[in-house]
This record gives sequence, C-alpha cells and structure tokens, in this order.
Amino acid sequence: MNQARSRGAVGPDAADLFWKVLSLTLLLLGAAVMLLPFLWMLLSSFKTPVEIIRTPPTFWPENPTLAAFSTVLTRAPFFTWMRNSLVVAVAVTALVLFTSSLTGYIFAKFDFPGKQALFVLVLVTMMVPFQVVMIPTYLIVARLHLLNTLWALVIPSAVSAFGVYLCKQFIEGIPTDLIEAARIDGAGELRIFLTIIIPLIRPTLAALGIFTFMASWNNYLWPLIAINDEHKMTIPLALAYFTTSHHGARWDLVMAATTLMVIPVIIVFLFFQREFIRGLALTGLKG
Amino acid sequence: MTSWKRWLRPANRSRALFVAGALTPVMLLFFVFFILPITASVVLAFYRYSPLDPDSPFIGVRNFLNLVSDPVFRKAVRNTFYFVLAAVPVNLLITLPIAIGLDGVRRRWLRDSLRAVYFLPTVAPIVAAAVIWAYLYQPVNGLLNAFIGHLGIPRILWLTSAKWAMPSVIVMSLWQDIGYNIVIFLAGLEAIPSVFYEAAKIDGAGRWHLFRNITFPLLSRTSSFVLVMTMISYLQVFAQMQVMTNGGPHDSTRVLALFIYDSAFRYNQMGYASAAAVILLGVTLLLTLLALWLTRRMSQWEY
Repeated sequence: MNQARSRGAVGPDAADLFWKVLSLTLLLLGAAVMLLPFLWMLLSSFKTPVEIIRTPPTFWPENPTLAAFSTVLTRAPFFTWMRNSLVVAVAVTALVLFTSSLTGYIFAKFDFPGKQALFVLVLVTMMVPFQVVMIPTYLIVARLHLLNTLWALVIPSAVSAFGVYLCKQFIEGIPTDLIEAARIDGAGELRIFLTIIIPLIRPTLAALGIFTFMASWNNYLWPLIAINDEHKMTIPLALAYFTTSHHGARWDLVMAATTLMVIPVIIVFLFFQREFIRGLALTGLKG
Repeated sequence: MTSWKRWLRPANRSRALFVAGALTPVMLLFFVFFILPITASVVLAFYRYSPLDPDSPFIGVRNFLNLVSDPVFRKAVRNTFYFVLAAVPVNLLITLPIAIGLDGVRRRWLRDSLRAVYFLPTVAPIVAAAVIWAYLYQPVNGLLNAFIGHLGIPRILWLTSAKWAMPSVIVMSLWQDIGYNIVIFLAGLEAIPSVFYEAAKIDGAGRWHLFRNITFPLLSRTSSFVLVMTMISYLQVFAQMQVMTNGGPHDSTRVLALFIYDSAFRYNQMGYASAAAVILLGVTLLLTLLALWLTRRMSQWEY
C-alpha cells in the first residue's frame, strides 16, 4: 500500500527525496529525545554516590558500579513490592477477563427484562473520572475492613465497564446459530461460554488483558489512598515513597530503584508489542 | 417481548439460571464500587463530612459556595485549564506530524521500531517517569541545566520556580503520553485507502493539497476522538504533579485532581472534596457530550 503511494504515478523527484530525508531525520531525532531520559536513568544508576553529586554531571559513569542496585535490593523490601504488584495485577487481569467476557456474552446474546437499563448503567460508569468515586470507595473499603490489604487493590477493580463493552461488541459478531446448535446438542450454558465463545474472542481478550495488566501495574492514585503499610505497597507507590521519604538526596539509589521497576515493563512491552499496539488501535483505549 | 412469564417457562429455566447466576455477582460489584460511590459522591457534596468528626450536618450548597470563594480552588481550576489548554494543542501538533512521518516510512522494521520507541514512555509507570524527570530537572546537577549551561544559558529552576514549574510538568507529560495519540493517528492514516492519493497524484496534486484535501478530512473522525479523549484524560492529571512538585511552588502546579486528593485525604474534608469532584464530573460529562456531538457531525466525512 505504502509502496504504491510513495512511488505514485509521478515518480520520485528531488522534492520528494528532500521531504523523505528531512522527515526521517526529524523522526530519528525525536526518537533520540524519547530514549534519552531512559538512558540517563540507566547511566545514573551505575554511578557511585560521589560521582552522582558532581557538578556539572558526568554523562558516562567513570567507575561503573552495581552498589546502588545491591543497596536497593538489600535495604528496601524490593521483592515484596514486586510480588505485591504482580499478585494484584495477575488477580485483577484474570478477574476482569472473566467478568467482562461473561457479562459481555450475556448482554450480547441473551434477552431478559431490564437488560437495556442495566447495560446503560454499566456504560455510564465508564465516563466517570476516578477522582469522583475515590472518596466513597475509600469509605466503603474502610467499612469492609480491607484498607491496607491487597484485597483493597483487587476487589474494586474486578469488574470493568470498558471490558464489558468491548466483549459485548465482539461477541455480537458471533452467529447466534452457533450457540443454538450447541444447545440442541445438549451443551450446558457455562460450557457453551467456555468452549465456544471464549476461543472466538481470544484476540480481544489478549488486548484487554494486556491493558488491564498494565493499568493495574502502573496504577498510583488508588494504592496511594488505600495502602500505607510499607510491606503492602505496589511498585509505583513504593517508588514515590522511596523517593520522597528516605532517599530524595541519593539519586544513585533512586535511579537504581527506578531502573529495576522500568526494565521489566519495557521487556514485557517489547515482547508483546504487536498485540499491544493492535489492541490500542482497535479500541482507541487510553491508559 | 421479554416478559418474566416467558422466562419462567421450564424450557428457558437453565438459561434464566445462567443469566441470573452470572450477572448477580458482577452487577453487585458494579453497584458497590461504581454506582454507589457516584451517588454517594454527589450526596456527600451537600454535607460537611469528615471521617474524624462524628457530626456531619447537611449544609446545602455551602460547599460549592465555599469552593467558589476559595483562592486555592480557583487557582486549581485555573491551573487545570492552563494544563489542558496548553498541553492538548501541543500534543496534537506533535503527534499528527509524527504519525504522518511514520506512515511515510517505507521500511516496515524501521517504522515499527520507531513507533515502539515513541510508545515506550507510555508503558513505563507514570511515577517512574515523574521521578526520572524530577532528576533531569534538578537545578544544580540535573542533565538539562548542564546541557543549557554548555550553551551559555544560565540555570533555570525548572520545578522550583512558579514561572517554570507548570511548563516543565507539561513537557514531562507530553514525553510520557504522546505515544498513545501517535499510535491512534497512525492507525487512522493506515485506514485511508491509497487509491485516493494515487488518483490525486495523477491529477498533479502537491504535498500540501494531499494533506489538506484527503488526509485532513478523512482523519477528522480520528482527530475529534483523539482531541476529546486527550482533554478528558488531561483534566484528571494527577500523578506527575503529586510526585514532582506536590502542587508547588506557591500552588502553581496544584491541579483539580490534586486539590480533591489533598482536601479529602490530607485535610479530611471529604464533603468539600466531593463538591470539587462533582464539578470535575460536570466538566467531564460536558466534554463527553461534545465528543458524541463531534463524532456524529464528523461521520458525514467518513469514507
């Protein structure tokens, strides 16, 4: 498609070449700007405490050391934070995928009294900013005695209006005959859902799953409200806490901690890049 | 058509059981964590409520009146609009050209790699991005001041002067999330059939004409979607302010979301904070309606 477009009927001339070189140069320059903060984070995390406070700063570390990393890993409950984030993100993702596909299936393929009203109710919640619900949610979670537990981070996130909407959209495209045929063959409702519907919407679920996982992994505002025990913190909360409370002046430690938190995310992203970007373009979802 | 009587017939019973069994727990969660909080928030806005105070009287619209005369709230509203009105246009002016540039890159691996690089900051936790930039912005040994020092420009107090703090946070925010809009614009561009361009080129249309008469109108639906979604998400900006400046210096980066958070969880004025949240909700709903109206209007241009 693009080859046809750029070769066109007119053919490449000097102006075309000029634009091409210019735009590629600017794109590469922009890409360098995007990468520079990450590079600076990485380089700084290998510096010694003496080098990191030098003015003006050195760019490449003179005596690269892993001391900052070992300090972070031994003095802070880093692995606990990692485990908390992982437990919460996995639980939330599994729950959201299950509840969204099940509810989406029911809204798409079943008829029952009050269905339209319920669906509208679900959609309305999608538009509401989190700042509007966070105060009552805090009070409710406090009443349930879940503050300062990982449950506080999992249960309110177990359902997603966007997930329900997305699954409904895709399940509506599945022919109802397929479901009817299975019913005539004597398959139970739950079995139809698990063995027919789920496999057919797998790409949608992959996109939804990746986004739910990332949103949970990166969530900051709700953990900030619900958690204040250092050992129950998730990674973003812990990083903010680590930076502001203890180590604001020790940028070598802060950058090492940041590196440890950013690198796994980047690796996961590079691994699932295609699904990620396809899912985003498909849904127009904002993080 | 769908009546209770039909649903209770034996033939439909297993289906009814499935629907009821599956929907009840899910709807319960929606009710407890979405519907109830939204309602409670609106109700709370009319009370003086603090979790530390056993007495929480109904005070009518007093919270709203107090907000309007609260200089910090007014500052927060102004700052939020400053952020949205500055960052949204700049965002679109950066992301659309980058997407068009990427769309023109013919080598697939190069295009995909560049796209991945631009998207990379959006996947990093926003707190991590804020911490990295707080370090870049350090007044004495930050990279940015070292760089402009080389050019002979005196140090700038990026995050610690009232004049520079907001622009600095805006730059960080743009770096952090232009990836989203680039990917969405790119998908919109890839969907435009190349026949249109070929036909126009045969007619001798120039580069500007192609953009003005094909790309721009055919992308208007994507653009209005991107515009409104970006505005809604920027209205709720929170983490970078909380981490990088905590609203300072002199409240110059105190945005609405931070005001609500501090009122509720630092000063325990939850009724007051809810009133501010209701105002945020109102603005968001207005924008959502605008979005619906815009997409409907724009769809006449769709191919």
